[in-house]
Amino acid sequence: MPPSIHPVDLIDALRQKHLTPAIVFLTSRRACDEAMESFDHASVVLPPARQEAIDAVLQQVIAQYPSVADHPLIPTVRRIGVAAHHAGHLPSWKIAVEELMRQGCLDAVFATTTLAAGVDFPARTVVITQSSIRKARDFTDLTIGEVQQIAGRAGRRGKDQVGFAVVAPSPYIDLSVLTKGLTGHPEPIDSQFTITYPMVLNLLKAHPLEQIQSILAKSFAQFQLNRRAELLERKLDALHVQMEPFGPRICTDWITQWQTFDQARRQRPQRHQPRHESPELTARFHFMTPGRVVGLARGRGVVLRQYRSKGQRHPMISVLRPNGSVTECPAAAVVEIFDRVFDCEETASFPWCSAASFDELCYQLTELPPRLPVLPILVSHESAPLPDTVVQSLGDFPCPTCPSRPACQKDFATAHRLRQEQHRHVKSIQALRASLWHRFQERVDVLQKFGYLTPSAQLTAEGEWARLIRIDHSLLITELIRAEAFSGVEPAVLTGVLASIAHDDDRPGAFPRISPGLSSLLGQVRKLAESLSPYEEPPLLRADIAAIAERWVADPNLTWIGLCRMTTMAEGDLYRLLARTLEFLSQIHALHATHPGLADTASRAIALIRRGVLEELP
Amino acid sequence: MTTDELEQLLAQQPVSLLHRLARGRVHRHFRAGKRRLIELLLQHSSQNLAGLESDLQTLLAERQALPQRPKTPARRKEELAPVHPKRHPPPTTGGESETSGPAVSLANWLEGIGVPPPQPFVPDPWQVEALAALAEGDVVVSVPTGSGKTYVAVEAARRAMEDNRTVIYTSPLKALSNTKFTEFSRLFGTEKVGILTGDRQENGQAPLLIMTTEILRNLLYDAASGEIDVRLDTLGLVILDESQYLADPERGVVWEETIIFCPSQARLLLLSASIGNPQDIADWLSSIRTTTCRLIRHNKRTVPLRAGYLHPNGKLVPLFKTAAIPYGHPNQLHPEAKRLFMQYEEDTMPSGRPRR
Repeated sequence: MPPSIHPVDLIDALRQKHLTPAIVFLTSRRACDEAMESFDHASVVLPPARQEAIDAVLQQVIAQYPSVADHPLIPTVRRIGVAAHHAGHLPSWKIAVEELMRQGCLDAVFATTTLAAGVDFPARTVVITQSSIRKARDFTDLTIGEVQQIAGRAGRRGKDQVGFAVVAPSPYIDLSVLTKGLTGHPEPIDSQFTITYPMVLNLLKAHPLEQIQSILAKSFAQFQLNRRAELLERKLDALHVQMEPFGPRICTDWITQWQTFDQARRQRPQRHQPRHESPELTARFHFMTPGRVVGLARGRGVVLRQYRSKGQRHPMISVLRPNGSVTECPAAAVVEIFDRVFDCEETASFPWCSAASFDELCYQLTELPPRLPVLPILVSHESAPLPDTVVQSLGDFPCPTCPSRPACQKDFATAHRLRQEQHRHVKSIQALRASLWHRFQERVDVLQKFGYLTPSAQLTAEGEWARLIRIDHSLLITELIRAEAFSGVEPAVLTGVLASIAHDDDRPGAFPRISPGLSSLLGQVRKLAESLSPYEEPPLLRADIAAIAERWVADPNLTWIGLCRMTTMAEGDLYRLLARTLEFLSQIHALHATHPGLADTASRAIALIRRGVLEELP
Repeated sequence: MTTDELEQLLAQQPVSLLHRLARGRVHRHFRAGKRRLIELLLQHSSQNLAGLESDLQTLLAERQALPQRPKTPARRKEELAPVHPKRHPPPTTGGESETSGPAVSLANWLEGIGVPPPQPFVPDPWQVEALAALAEGDVVVSVPTGSGKTYVAVEAARRAMEDNRTVIYTSPLKALSNTKFTEFSRLFGTEKVGILTGDRQENGQAPLLIMTTEILRNLLYDAASGEIDVRLDTLGLVILDESQYLADPERGVVWEETIIFCPSQARLLLLSASIGNPQDIADWLSSIRTTTCRLIRHNKRTVPLRAGYLHPNGKLVPLFKTAAIPYGHPNQLHPEAKRLFMQYEEDTMPSGRPRR
């Protein structure tokens, strides 16, 4: 069986059950393109009337966006009534597909799940083929909200009585993610508030530093942090109630008092019995030598050896019993030690004595009289005196003689735990309430260090223009401008550098060669970005991206098709790259008051970029 | 009752009953099979068969007294399934959403497919409610995709423009902005609609401006630092579409900045797909804005949705036991879909290694 249904069969099945028009969400752009290619040999052809309808709609779109006219997919779309719609396509083509879908000319559209939010056209049916989505660099499971967003495209208001979400499995699908997503309640959303350099500059331009904290407090981030802080405060209140029985005793802060006392007590040096044996046992153990007759709880025996065993607290002995068996028992089990020792020839292995002496001992044991004299053993009960330092430090404590000592000792563990919890909560509440403000101050410190802010957090002349750069990597761009990296550069080179800063995709590809001027400038940019990395995440700064943008601006005769041939990038990506570069350039253009030369270069670059496909389109 | 009769009677009983009978009589009775169990029971009670018999009769009487339980496995599963009354809306009672009973057939599942008869457009109650609430304060709308949020946006914009107020409509994606620009131009006339995105500016003085959220944020920053934009004085309504982007890791901060700096005389209309905590957003807005914020939410789709499963061999079956999606019960899979998917998993499993 194939790992997933063939696109032609899929569309066939949907058509048979009248489930068209449908949006088929596939894993990748390549999957969409391959699905389209698989129709090359399909025999199903649309009736001429529908082909004409598609043509008519396409003509309307082409009138507005001429670049659609020679799109390579048009013949296929006309023939089969199915199209692909993903980020690799030009916006004009996507508009055409959306228009076709809206007019009801298409039976199905292959789209990528990544762009589910951007697919703004409904259909009767949505086909889901995967349960995970590529985010950043690896695949993560779809959230409930995402599944519902995807499935929500099914069912057109006024055109359908019911919508259908159809799961068509492909490898790496997890059905439970989808069923949970379809039947579940969407996840709550969390604030993703971050403090950016332009935000700091713009806030300080409009408001004095004292007001900033109250402005930050208005963010959803702070709202959610406060929620968590309130939760902790409620816990703290509950803790206060629990702590009530452990209030002040004879000393006010008895918990700390007991804690220090306890520590001082524990610091006393170890007594001479490392294993905490009773003094009796220690004294008697010395007499349990091989050959000694001892009394056990049941009967008597002769000690064969002494040993220590890992699992046992007490030292162990092996004993020969009157019936000739050898038993192991802890030394503590010995009840009496008799004043009788037999000769015993020890050996290293069982039965711990030579065969001759073993027989001899067995014989002797049976021959023993019923009463035997017990060995008198003196046990010293006196404990070693405490070292002077400890006695002195303990003398500082009232605890040993305090009347509430037993209560303190008993309650200490609970009270101490509660108090620690209390401290922890208080600290986290403080952190939650002030974290945004701290992050803001960190940013302020950096901006002061680079001279965009005065020590009193006023905007410097540099800060005045830097606040107009409100894009990603703003610190890098403003630092480049201050370092005069762009003075006297060609519009093409400026475009190239900005494009490489703007581009954040690491898909590999083959690209044209880079000009030496741009290459050396890019080297400088890389060095600067590296040095700024503690303060700002450095961009990818790909030379090939810079080169392709440079080419488009430097060579006015280059056609869009020619540009696309130079690279393996999809034309939709290329379009987005240039559109994003335009945004960056227009931000630079906004600096015309302070940097007229640079702004002029930027506006020339903007004029040069806007041609062909980029001009016709929004 | 003779021993043979008793043995026969015991043999007719289910083994669970025998185990109950063996409790206290037979050591480690749970290890024994049925036949062995009967043997052990008789052996143990050989002196006291009458006692065994009377115990058996009591157990049988108890069994009779128990209410008859239907023994379909699905029903049992439903009882075991944890119910979260807070998180999940209870399954709506009604023809389609009946949770018990046999699984739906494909024909029933496909029933009702097709184009509804044309009806005059009547706004849904929630749409009317949202528009009414907007007259008094900010509004957060959280409804499923495709419920008709655009209608609310359009009507709200129309009303604000009738009052000679400026309206700003923002969307997260440039493509969406362009679509909306075309759509609104068609509705209100091209001279009344303008667009401002990072790389496109058209008709910037129009009363209805469409822009990406970043552009609006920049406008608000400029206004705050003294470079007053005339349009912000007359700004009456800001519509933030797809405002679930608030949780976007990279761009979410822009939505927060926009909402924080939105002028107080302008109303805010946040349109979002279904999210888990719209009440939090509404509470937040109420806490930072001068007016209280109304939350309009509902989970019911305008066009009902059904889920299906399409096997690679082209076989289409319903995904769930019910025709409608059983909200809150992800385990109520259609037996056929379950079987086919398990077969699929087995067939596609890489040899020698379990999946995942």
